[in-house]
Amino acid sequence: MTPPQAGPVAETTAALDVLLDTHPEASAALDPATLSRLDEESGFPREATDLLDRLGVPALYVPTRFGGRLESQEELFHVLRVLGRRDVTVAVAHFKTYLGAVSVWLAGRPEQAERLGREIIAGSRVSWALSEPEHGADLLAGEVTATREEGGEGGYVLSGVKWLINNATLGSHWCVLARTSQTPGSRSHSLLLVGKEGLPEGSYRPLPKVATVGIRGADISGVGFEDTRVPATALVGQEGKGVETVLRGLQLTRTACAGLSAGAGEHALRIATAFAAEHQVGGRPLIERPHVREVLARSAATLLAVEAVGRAGARSAHALTDEMSVISALTKAVAPTLADGLIRDLADLLGSRSHLAAGYAHGAFQKALRDHQIVGIFDGSTVVNRHAVVNHFPRLARNYASGTADLDGVAEATALGSPVRPLDPTRLQVMSRTGCSIVQALPAVAARVARAAAAGEAPATLAEAAGAAEAAVRRVHERMARVAPSPKPPIAAFDLAAAYELGFAAAVCLHVWERRAASGADARSAAWDEARWVEGALWALLDRLGEAAGQEPRPLRRDLRDGLVDWLAEAVAKGEPLTLFARQATGNDAVQEAADER
Amino acid sequence: MSVDQHAPAAARSADALEELLGDPWDAANPAGFERLLAADEAREPAAGAEATLGTFGLGAELVPAALGGRFTDLPRLIEVLRALWRRDPSLGFGAGLRPFLAAAHVWAAGDAGQQRAAADALLAGRLPAAAEGAPGFTAERDGAGWRLRGRQEIVTNLREADTLVLTARTPEGDATFRLDLAALPADGVRHLPRLPGVGMRGLRLSGLEFLDCPVPADALLGGAPGTAAALPVSLLARTCLPALSAGILDTGLRAALDCALGRQLYGGKVADLPYVQGTLARCFADLLLVDAFSGAVARLLSLLPAQAAAPAAALGHLGPRLLIDAMDTLRSVPGARGYLHEGRHAIFQKLGRDLLPGGFGADSRAACQAGLLDLLPGLTRAGRPAEPAVPRGLFPAGTADLPPLDFAALATAGAAADPLAGTLLAVAGDTPQDGLPGRLARHFLAELDRVHAEGAALDPARPALDAEPEELRVAHRYAVVLAAAACLGTWDAGRKAGDPRTGDDTWLCAALDRLCSLTGGPRVLTEAERADVEEEMFRAACRRFEERRLFDLTYRAVPG
Repeated sequence: MTPPQAGPVAETTAALDVLLDTHPEASAALDPATLSRLDEESGFPREATDLLDRLGVPALYVPTRFGGRLESQEELFHVLRVLGRRDVTVAVAHFKTYLGAVSVWLAGRPEQAERLGREIIAGSRVSWALSEPEHGADLLAGEVTATREEGGEGGYVLSGVKWLINNATLGSHWCVLARTSQTPGSRSHSLLLVGKEGLPEGSYRPLPKVATVGIRGADISGVGFEDTRVPATALVGQEGKGVETVLRGLQLTRTACAGLSAGAGEHALRIATAFAAEHQVGGRPLIERPHVREVLARSAATLLAVEAVGRAGARSAHALTDEMSVISALTKAVAPTLADGLIRDLADLLGSRSHLAAGYAHGAFQKALRDHQIVGIFDGSTVVNRHAVVNHFPRLARNYASGTADLDGVAEATALGSPVRPLDPTRLQVMSRTGCSIVQALPAVAARVARAAAAGEAPATLAEAAGAAEAAVRRVHERMARVAPSPKPPIAAFDLAAAYELGFAAAVCLHVWERRAASGADARSAAWDEARWVEGALWALLDRLGEAAGQEPRPLRRDLRDGLVDWLAEAVAKGEPLTLFARQATGNDAVQEAADER
Repeated sequence: MSVDQHAPAAARSADALEELLGDPWDAANPAGFERLLAADEAREPAAGAEATLGTFGLGAELVPAALGGRFTDLPRLIEVLRALWRRDPSLGFGAGLRPFLAAAHVWAAGDAGQQRAAADALLAGRLPAAAEGAPGFTAERDGAGWRLRGRQEIVTNLREADTLVLTARTPEGDATFRLDLAALPADGVRHLPRLPGVGMRGLRLSGLEFLDCPVPADALLGGAPGTAAALPVSLLARTCLPALSAGILDTGLRAALDCALGRQLYGGKVADLPYVQGTLARCFADLLLVDAFSGAVARLLSLLPAQAAAPAAALGHLGPRLLIDAMDTLRSVPGARGYLHEGRHAIFQKLGRDLLPGGFGADSRAACQAGLLDLLPGLTRAGRPAEPAVPRGLFPAGTADLPPLDFAALATAGAAADPLAGTLLAVAGDTPQDGLPGRLARHFLAELDRVHAEGAALDPARPALDAEPEELRVAHRYAVVLAAAACLGTWDAGRKAGDPRTGDDTWLCAALDRLCSLTGGPRVLTEAERADVEEEMFRAACRRFEERRLFDLTYRAVPG
């Protein structure tokens, strides 16, 4: 089978992965021992972020229509995965600028967005100032005020404290959500893009760096606005539309965060695999022991499921835009949950070594564990996102029962790596009226897999797994139909949302497998052989569904387990990334050009 | 509240220690959370807290009463040390568990003179250093004495101690030494850099390399290698680590409740949210189940050491991961606050980091599971235990006394019979069939039968290291059954004695429901029943919080 042609995703981000391996400054900036020391000292990884600036990565945070190189949300997933697989702190510290800017991309005036784009490409870091000491996800409760000045230039006066803000101190701009109206309701807040340059001395007060469990080097701090005057042109979008814009922005950023989970999961898996390959017990390396192979195989398959979910979720912003409210919630909940889980399972394998801050792989394992824990907490914790899914239950149940699905959208969303239609941000909705087509189309794809297996065109074991997934998801929907809408759902509803998100992941995997021929951007990695990654992923997800799947956990078939471990061990030994798509060593692309220019 | 002089000895000791440690939330308290967090940042033991241990005479808790100390049995030690683990697991490990395990080698295998010397040192407040063990570490006979060779990379208390306890391999079997550190020749050892941990940062850790280092004959415990101290200490380690780590979850629950009851969200308290209530309820149930299981195993070591090997392995496998998963789940309550090193709830993240993933080396979770698998064929050969019987004294109704722990007898620990399985049979037979406890008991009875059938079908000749995942899964399910049996035994004894704490149906159903979730398959409780149980558990947790009571089975009020 010939590798399909390279597309925009391959060019930029695949090259980034290669560059970070080969660029002469990368090995120092991303040296594990250095990153471990910086972590201990809570030091900002400046060398690494400066290098990323020089390699032109900031241009990937700016849409092409505003002068940057960002065309597809799938590229953002890649950037986060490529950075995160080396160091989550570096990824979070650098990528934060996209989060800070996304509101401007969605709602800003064209000249405002173009200007910000230029500044970001020139090295400006932007922060998203949403949370406050007393208010996290509860955006409408925000107390920072932006009061319109009477007369004069009609600007705004900002007052109040934003806290636990990434980049607040080292960044050059804040995108601030502030209250512009005391009238209760959803139109009470607005967004303002505030540049530090030009602000009068003393009109704002940087707040000290907050020490955290993980991402210790990131600039998590805050700002106190003390009657800070900003011009009227600082407004982003219309007054009163602040929360709505933020919610739409979160649909994009929450989905992209799956890249961090894929990256951290890969990092942990590489360390554990290398350990298992070399550490001997009873005269044989651990990797030869069946139970160790089981853990490694499941972790590998789960990791690839996270990648499939992250990429399909990102592409859904383009192809299933109306459904992003639920897709982003599902992605943001399931990706870190799966990654946290596999990292804990691998910690068992490493034993007491997983607890060390140095001495084995420079303590990178437990650093990845701690760093990754933030992903399930920030920008909409897992609980907040599952709550959003619970709120969609009636529509999800109804549409599943009727089999309604945007099949073209699903097909395009799951053709990973291929060109995708432009993102129309005006179609981002606060609630998905059409439910989740990816899940709603699961019975159909499972049936097609069954027919293909009957015709000898797909492994029978894959059809078996697909059928089990479909049955489990059906049972989940039966329970969903019995959940009454409520502003304070019981914990059982959250358990059910957790089950639904696993079903979503299973559906993604099956669709991605079915669309493999169209996933043209990169050559597929050997994980696709004999459908092993997708079958392994389905069984691993079904086990996590547990009782909801109506069956007991079962170990993987010996040949499936061996197939996954063989792929994993070889990729780790050769230094190849653990991904669905083989890395292309092209140098002829936008990022390389940008790097060469400097 | 002053120490209750009428309370049992263990409780009095634990309360006395708790009182010396003072109010953890007081910023000025040298043994308070704020100071402990600062010490943790600096990778230092908390000086203030450490000083109280000398005042308390913690060393005496590690010395058997027969040698002049206060140690009588493991449950007593666990209750005392838990007060320390609730406060600072670093100290709990470094000044408590680790020296205890080192001393246990001497109590199990040392001769009278070695035991006297070790006891005197501990009674004077001098803790031994202890090495975690290393596969390549060997001892060779050299005349009357020995030469030690190899690296010991994880040694606790090395620079502060006079003595070091470690184990070496010899052709004649394992040999444990109690070394006089001052007497080691300077060119016989080389200090190794400390391997820092992500948690328990205040531990005094370093390493030592032995370069054919000569040691005298009298340093060898028991005078000959192969003296069986390894098994006793392993049993103690497997039991104590999860038992004491439960103290970490106790404080975690307290901090989470403090946060939930104090913070506002969406116009109400965080604790008003059903999701938060359910999460707190589940973690509370997890704590109780670990307490019931570890309490039963700790008592077994005194009462029936010959039958303690399987329960201890089961606890060592199940306990640590259960506690880690509980803390991970609990983290969603403080949310971002639980990720910060500052603020009122900063203690939460420290607790999470201090929670060890399992025992070291041969007592790791994997080793415990493999060990349990090795014992299964023998345990299941005869089918169900003949006697549905609860071993006398295993489940205390009130404060039943235990015989003093015989350390040497632990060397004969095995799997002669299955006391917890016998308990399960007896209690299930004694419990009304309808009603939640009865249904749950029958479920675990069926699980026991199934485990027996599968266990009997296992190939006893295959080493557990080579076991297939489905075989290890049998060991896992067996561990869950044993934990369930311990919960049922505790509840049944409490019910019959009219004890409202342990005899209460709610905690039992909550704990057994949690155990059901560990094995997949159908749950016994309906969603509605679970919702009711969890609501009651949440209210019970709030009451304990408001009354400053522990979340474990003792229900004791915390002084201060």
